[in-house]
Amino acid sequence: MPERAVRELTVIEAVREALGDEMARDERVLVLGEDVGRLGGVFRATEGLFARFGAKRVVDMPMAETVIAGVAVGLAMRGLRPVAEIQFADFIHAAMDHLVGEAAKIRWRTGGDWSCPLVLRTAYGGGFRGGPYHSQSVEAFYAHAPGLKVVAPSTPADAKGLLVAAIRDPDPVLVLEHKRTYRAIRGYVPEGDYVVPIGRAAVAREGRDATVFAYGMMLHESLAAAELLASEGIDVEVVDLRTLAPLDRETILASLAKTRRLCVVHEDTITMGLGAELCALAAEADVLDVPPVRVAMPDIPGVPVDDVLEDAVLPNRATIRDALVRLVGRERSRSSRAPSAPRAYDPAIPQASSIVEVALPAEHMRAAITALVAAASAFPRFNATFAWTGIVEHADVVVDLDLGPSAPARGLGTITLVDYGPDGSDLAIPFVRPGQTSAVRIGAVRDGRAFVACAVDHRAVDGADVGRFLAAFKAAVEEGASVHDGVVHAG
Amino acid sequence: MTRAERERAYRALSLARALDDRMWRLARAGRAHFAVPCSGHEAIGAGYALAMRPGVDWVAPHYRDLAAMIVLGMAPRDVMLNFFSRPSDPNAHGRQPYSHFGSRALHVLSLQGPQPNHCSHGVGCAWGSKLLGDGSVTVIAFGDGGAQKGEVHESMNVAAIHRLPCVFVVHRNGWTQSVAREDQYATETLVARAAGYGMPGIAVDGMDVEAVHAAASEATERARAGGGPTLIDAACVRFLPNTSNDDDSRYRDRAEVDALRASGDPVLRARALVGAELADAVDAESAALADDAAAWAEAQPLGDPATVADHAYA
Repeated sequence: MPERAVRELTVIEAVREALGDEMARDERVLVLGEDVGRLGGVFRATEGLFARFGAKRVVDMPMAETVIAGVAVGLAMRGLRPVAEIQFADFIHAAMDHLVGEAAKIRWRTGGDWSCPLVLRTAYGGGFRGGPYHSQSVEAFYAHAPGLKVVAPSTPADAKGLLVAAIRDPDPVLVLEHKRTYRAIRGYVPEGDYVVPIGRAAVAREGRDATVFAYGMMLHESLAAAELLASEGIDVEVVDLRTLAPLDRETILASLAKTRRLCVVHEDTITMGLGAELCALAAEADVLDVPPVRVAMPDIPGVPVDDVLEDAVLPNRATIRDALVRLVGRERSRSSRAPSAPRAYDPAIPQASSIVEVALPAEHMRAAITALVAAASAFPRFNATFAWTGIVEHADVVVDLDLGPSAPARGLGTITLVDYGPDGSDLAIPFVRPGQTSAVRIGAVRDGRAFVACAVDHRAVDGADVGRFLAAFKAAVEEGASVHDGVVHAG
Repeated sequence: MTRAERERAYRALSLARALDDRMWRLARAGRAHFAVPCSGHEAIGAGYALAMRPGVDWVAPHYRDLAAMIVLGMAPRDVMLNFFSRPSDPNAHGRQPYSHFGSRALHVLSLQGPQPNHCSHGVGCAWGSKLLGDGSVTVIAFGDGGAQKGEVHESMNVAAIHRLPCVFVVHRNGWTQSVAREDQYATETLVARAAGYGMPGIAVDGMDVEAVHAAASEATERARAGGGPTLIDAACVRFLPNTSNDDDSRYRDRAEVDALRASGDPVLRARALVGAELADAVDAESAALADDAAAWAEAQPLGDPATVADHAYA
């Protein structure tokens, strides 16, 4: 068989091809931005388009990001298909009002009467000594805005296919192109009409032991880290997110259901970044066996320009590899199992109230102690103490009485009962004494009734049981329970 | 203006005032959330809208351009649906408060909150007209407070560079809510700015509907003929507080405003265009239309929570 020629392009060539193809296919498509005309863009994404389509459709704009975005909104509302370029993502925030405040809201705020099919392309990311204003990753700001789709291709094929999809999309799409991929990444790109659907992630490398989520240049660093680990017997799955908003939850959760270990990598700063959202998604779906790891830029205001400093803050294959080793080495805190079904609401569990109103005579100490012994006997977790070996439940109920500042509890019992009598407050939450698991406090008696509160140490006692425990206490007091074999250790 | 245009102008001014008056009182009575009065500004909207070709030309309006909406064909009931923020409001479907106008049918670009972001949208719209070659013109209206934003500078610059078919209309009432003209810009008027962009500027009495119409006609004809954009500086007086949430007694003298109102009310001045007899008849019709619209719109159902995410996609 004759060998079929495989056409390879760089990312920037793929972007250029997508723009040219779409402009040729649809005369509503026009390109606008700084230096996009005769210069062909500072990264040459629009090279050749000015000669091919003319100044009417390849428009050099003033250095004014607000109006570049605002004019694109107006053009899109009129049914044109503007593809605006913001030279560096670092400059995009002057356009944010038009992207987040306008484009993202137009369809929703007009009940679907209007739409805003604009595309805004911008170059983001560091790793080339650009300093704080030519290296930023801005995705989290924009992925947070409902109504704005955000894509971040990593490969030449996706750079073409996602840009074509963005131009044909009826709503606004922000296309984040990692500037280091422009020339560093080369690969097969299908010729002709090629669309990569927005909202679909791709498994870039299959693996068993953990999943790395990445995009842009970090996808390639993550793949390199996975190769390093393969030789060490660690089998890592790498998922290329491709679309950051809306996230492809199915692909993300399907991979995690298999590996049950999550690592997310981005150049954007760590706090409130995409990684936080992925961790939240995984936690809500309950698909992780061990805590996740995030490999991201630390929370510093910018990417420094100095060679050593920049390399120190941006993730790379070595730091990703190290994070994965830690992740895979973490002991499973839970047995491997299929994702559990969400727990249904159980009407049999009483409300986890820690306060109950009880009928009590003024002279009630004996009855209260008796009832507490009865309730504590029925719920041994409330009558327990912490030991080095764990929580010890006691057969005998040793009530520690706290009768006020002049007669405080000694801490020698297994459960504390606080009662300051008629001088006490009507309602107060007791303090669980160190070492014990619960405490009960009776408020001042008014008209034969008092509020009884229970506090517990949640390391030992589940909140729902507090309601059950107090219900037992109340029943015992009001029905006059008697002590069988409890020991009372009075204050 | 032709005789028919004069009558249309008066009808729009009278109806805008009647609706404005109802909305102000209903908002103050707590029957609706928010009123944005146009009293004192009516001649600007009516004047430029009468220079537009309905259904052909486009407008990115000022939020005080109720009179323009009426000239372009917005029904009083639709105005009141917007005012009561009902989901059946064709402007904003219960999702934006009054006066966020918008109508694809009437060629009114959907208006947003942050002022005046619609400036660049209007420039984009005019650019679309040029690319599509449909000969339409876009009017872009905003306040003199909004005019101090970089958005306006960038938009006028781009419109002038590409000689786009648009007309910038500044409602110059001298107040940005509570901030007086002296604290907004250092010149008396804004018309000189036009020269800085290389476009003609026209200063006009914005409380004289004929004068506004004449200026807007000149500007729209120039735009249509490929002569590019024009800036119209239209002076007016804001008779009422900024919105129903504002208390203008904290920053300006009501007696001074009332005196300006007595001498320059654009609706009263326009009575001369049609004569007292017709003006009285039109005013009676306007009152009836406004009453009907308010009562009808208030009775329309509120939103269904199940629909709140409709038209949200990402």
